[in-house]
Amino acid sequence: MTAPSPSWVAEPTVEVRAVSKWFGQKVAVSDLTCSFGPGVTGLLGPNGAGKTTLLRMLVGLLSPSDGAVTVLGRDPRRSPGVYRSLAMVPEEDAVYGFQTARQFVAYAAALSGAPPAAVERSIAAVALEDAADRPISGFSKGMRQRAKVAAALVNEAPVLVLDEPLNGTDPVQRAHLIAAFRRLGAEGRTVVVSSHVLAEVERMADRVLAIVDGRLAAAGDVAAIRRAMTDIPYRVRLEADDPRRLAAALLESGAVESAAVQGRILTVEAGDLTGLGRSLPPLARSLGVRFTLFEPEDLSLESVFRYLVRGR
Amino acid sequence: MRAFTALLANSLRQLLGGRRVILPALMGLLPAAVMAVLLAGQRTGATAGAGRESFHQAPLTILFFIVLPVVSLSFGTGALGDERRDGTLSFILLRPLPRSLVAGAKLLAAWLATLAVVGTGAALMSVLLGLRYSEWETLGPLVLAVALTSLSYVSAFLALGYLTQRAVLIGLVYAFIWESGMTTAVASLATVSLMRIGLSAYAGLVPSAGTYVDDLLGVVQPGAGGAAAKALVIAAVAVASLTALLRRRDVT
Repeated sequence: MTAPSPSWVAEPTVEVRAVSKWFGQKVAVSDLTCSFGPGVTGLLGPNGAGKTTLLRMLVGLLSPSDGAVTVLGRDPRRSPGVYRSLAMVPEEDAVYGFQTARQFVAYAAALSGAPPAAVERSIAAVALEDAADRPISGFSKGMRQRAKVAAALVNEAPVLVLDEPLNGTDPVQRAHLIAAFRRLGAEGRTVVVSSHVLAEVERMADRVLAIVDGRLAAAGDVAAIRRAMTDIPYRVRLEADDPRRLAAALLESGAVESAAVQGRILTVEAGDLTGLGRSLPPLARSLGVRFTLFEPEDLSLESVFRYLVRGR
Repeated sequence: MRAFTALLANSLRQLLGGRRVILPALMGLLPAAVMAVLLAGQRTGATAGAGRESFHQAPLTILFFIVLPVVSLSFGTGALGDERRDGTLSFILLRPLPRSLVAGAKLLAAWLATLAVVGTGAALMSVLLGLRYSEWETLGPLVLAVALTSLSYVSAFLALGYLTQRAVLIGLVYAFIWESGMTTAVASLATVSLMRIGLSAYAGLVPSAGTYVDDLLGVVQPGAGGAAAKALVIAAVAVASLTALLRRRDVT
């Protein structure tokens, strides 16, 4: 990869080069090139977009139909030894119901060659100490997720792949896990987290890859993705004491492309957000209109994502 | 070694734990139960020969034609099939373990589980004969025969459980159409019968059994050494094939 691209990081630990995967006639991932490095990267996409297929190729559970995947320079399909440095939390309930959470994590430690002390540390990392000696079969979905995360953390792998790890968790558990993932990213580990819950990705990830229909739709931080979409105007909410007058003046000056008034709220669409931010205060002063809110609506991941999937 | 032991112990717990073991365990006791009924029906003054004859007819036939294939099929296909069905296969495969170690541990677990269930029933069958007629020569050879046949069967069924969700159905067709039907009806096919591997070892170690098991063996020559070698080769081929499958096949 010679040309700089938002889908490629400077020091990649995981590299995906021109990867495609098809199952019979169905193309799940199509000619996808990207990389992952230290920090938390969110993999975003609607259900069926190809996220899980991509993640399973990253960890070697699926082989690419075309292209290549390497983790720390090695092909996980050919070198099981790479799993000393790579761990995954799969989306499915991959737990043994007859085990307690502690036995489950200890089993993961034994299979990974991790020291027994790692078991307690991993259980503590997901705050599962109180339930550690209860059978997993009696766990809620959220608690099973935490047990799976604990099992993935047991060998302190520098690369962690998490497929919808927050599914079924309650808000407290979610906050705890998000904090844990951010901490792991801050420690310099490569954390790849998939989710279709946009707000979660926004809270977790420094960088986002959006996948739609098996293709990479966008990459970068949320604001950068939004900035790159120059053909789509920004929506901005304004609150003013005389919104109609302000709307007319903004339209006349060409600072906005459209305006809609509802009560004291004026919603405008502008191609140049920075320009609008610069021109609005003097214009409002000259009109004698007082505005109390300037809120770009579509810098949220939700709106960015809505744009990406629109028309597909 | 720690990983192998953990994998083996967890697999045994998976196969033998809970209610799923009840049916195989009851099946395992079936030959002994039939033996007990036959012995109860014999007169007080009956000779040891009559006891041997009873032992080598219905109980032995039920053991080798029904119990061993069905229980081996249950544990053989379940060892990896259950992991795949429950989604826990990825939990094992995402560990820094040679695939041959996974295949070996799974084969050993399925074999030990089958041996625990069927071997206990077979041993009990022999013990009943021994207690009634002081005939103990069948005990060791029968357990060995069960061990060799079950090793051959679970070797065949292990990969089947990994490859298809219809493993039990295919295995039953194999056991009852091929093993019990074709290899008995067509004399030359007896040499490739898995069931006869253990039987040939038994016949080789218990000379008095020859007259009773000759019909079951067909053209297969009695002999424990050859039988053990065959079973070990089948197990080695099974581990090698499964290792290759685990390396190449996608885990969906």
